Amino acid sequence: MSLQFIIDGLLTGSMIGLGAIGVTLTYSILRFSNFAHGDFMAWGTYATLAVVGTISAMFGKVAPITPFSFGWPLIVALVVGVGLTALLALLLDKVLFSRLRKQEQAIIVVMGSFGASMALRSLLEFIFTSRPTYFSRAIQIAMPVGFGIRITPDQIALLLLTAVLVLGVHLLTTRTQTGRSMQAMSQNPALARIAGIDVASVVRVTWVIGAALACVAGVMIGVLVQIRPLMGFDMLLPMFAAAILGGIGSIPGAVLGGLIIGLAEAGAVQLIGAEWRAAVSFIILMAVLIVRPIGLFGVRER
Amino acid sequence: MSETVLDVGDLEAGYEPGVPIVRGASITVNKGEIVVVLGPNGAGKSSLIKAIAGLVPISRGKVLLDGKDITAAPAHTMVRLGLAFVPQTENVFPRMSVEDNLKVACGILERRQSPARIEEMYAAFPDLLRQRRTPAGNLSGGQRQMLAIARALIVHPKVLVLDEPSAGLSPKFVSMVFEMLSAIRKSGVTILLVEQNAKAALAIGDRAYVLVEGKERHEGVASTLWDDPVVAELYLGQRPLHRDSARRTETGGAA
Repeated sequence: MSLQFIIDGLLTGSMIGLGAIGVTLTYSILRFSNFAHGDFMAWGTYATLAVVGTISAMFGKVAPITPFSFGWPLIVALVVGVGLTALLALLLDKVLFSRLRKQEQAIIVVMGSFGASMALRSLLEFIFTSRPTYFSRAIQIAMPVGFGIRITPDQIALLLLTAVLVLGVHLLTTRTQTGRSMQAMSQNPALARIAGIDVASVVRVTWVIGAALACVAGVMIGVLVQIRPLMGFDMLLPMFAAAILGGIGSIPGAVLGGLIIGLAEAGAVQLIGAEWRAAVSFIILMAVLIVRPIGLFGVRER
Repeated sequence: MSETVLDVGDLEAGYEPGVPIVRGASITVNKGEIVVVLGPNGAGKSSLIKAIAGLVPISRGKVLLDGKDITAAPAHTMVRLGLAFVPQTENVFPRMSVEDNLKVACGILERRQSPARIEEMYAAFPDLLRQRRTPAGNLSGGQRQMLAIARALIVHPKVLVLDEPSAGLSPKFVSMVFEMLSAIRKSGVTILLVEQNAKAALAIGDRAYVLVEGKERHEGVASTLWDDPVVAELYLGQRPLHRDSARRTETGGAA
């Protein structure tokens, strides 16, 4: 039996986990399930792709950094793309979500996010067509690392990037004043205001973090798989599953949930059959919810 | 007459437009005083101080803090302006440690000041120091109240406003909370509080107002208010309050 599924699972899990952080933060701080989160992923990826295109138009063809499939344009474009995705989220909050939040009914905001999701997705198909595209068509040679496992340099780089980002976000939310304000908002928004926390700025930080990680996850999918307008929407259910599995509001939980779901999906493809891919993660999710309804790292509401 | 810290004039406030709960209330709090707002259930006591703290929409009237108009100031700016509010319930962040509850309130302090200020709070409330790593949700009722008060005090407020600090506490903790407030006043903090527990509150208060149907109907020196027949009538309908129990009240009255 090949253990390759472990690497595949970790990679899928990283993408799911990075996305799930945004889902779990939006849920615990803004108190709604953001169904447009997957579309932030896709928009971030296309924004990054557009910046890569602009850079090669300006500087001509740039050779990739060996041993990777990408050169500095992608790294620069990813930074710009992260900024643009954050702007998109802030803009969407200003024109849509902040108005809907005033009704103080979560379901209205959730439905609004459904609408936003469809609009964003259709707009992408309109601008870029629904044909898949790629950051690079170069083929990478996977290196054997023992136990029948092979890994490409791109995959190693992206796994490391995920680890750095997760650690960074974890430290930000647990060790800084901004992070404590976010925790305070999620635990008791009324008291947070009384304690002098500016709710509007916490909301902005939440969107920026969620959107930035969504963009990175999307670009990872773009580098390792392909770029499609539906790429984010297809990740929506695994991301929600990961956030719930890990316990809503918990960042380590979201990442661990993502890895479990990623590994389970990859394992199912290897051991049972590809058609079970989606089913297995949801069987695990349901089992966890029956045994521990608050998720792995969840906390009971009061 | 000493310097007025908080001056509330003809305040009308309520959660829904056209349905005022506070109906033209006027109160003042002078520097260094403890002022108590009493009144029967549903008199609008909590709504009055929540409106002052920016938590209930105000439809008429003015709130002045040190002469500055704070009537329309959003709730989250109140600590910066100098008004710290302690809600009656859910007044700590339950899943954050005691220390993080204090740290998160230091947002308006200069970063370098915060650690020293937290140590000062631990010195004033040694129980909190012993529990610094405990999630606030696991504290006892009295310790939780202590943390809520420390959280409010940490920013050096001009006035500390408390909504029924003794509510839901066992008798032992009730006296502890009032002793604590008395000590806080002695350290120079001005206090406005709403209380159901009239006897204990008047014992530490300087002046008191009786609020009925959203308007202050009577004002007096705390130590004499207990025996005032008008108060008994306003407060409880007709029945006079227990007369002999107010003797341990500190004399002194308004500073």
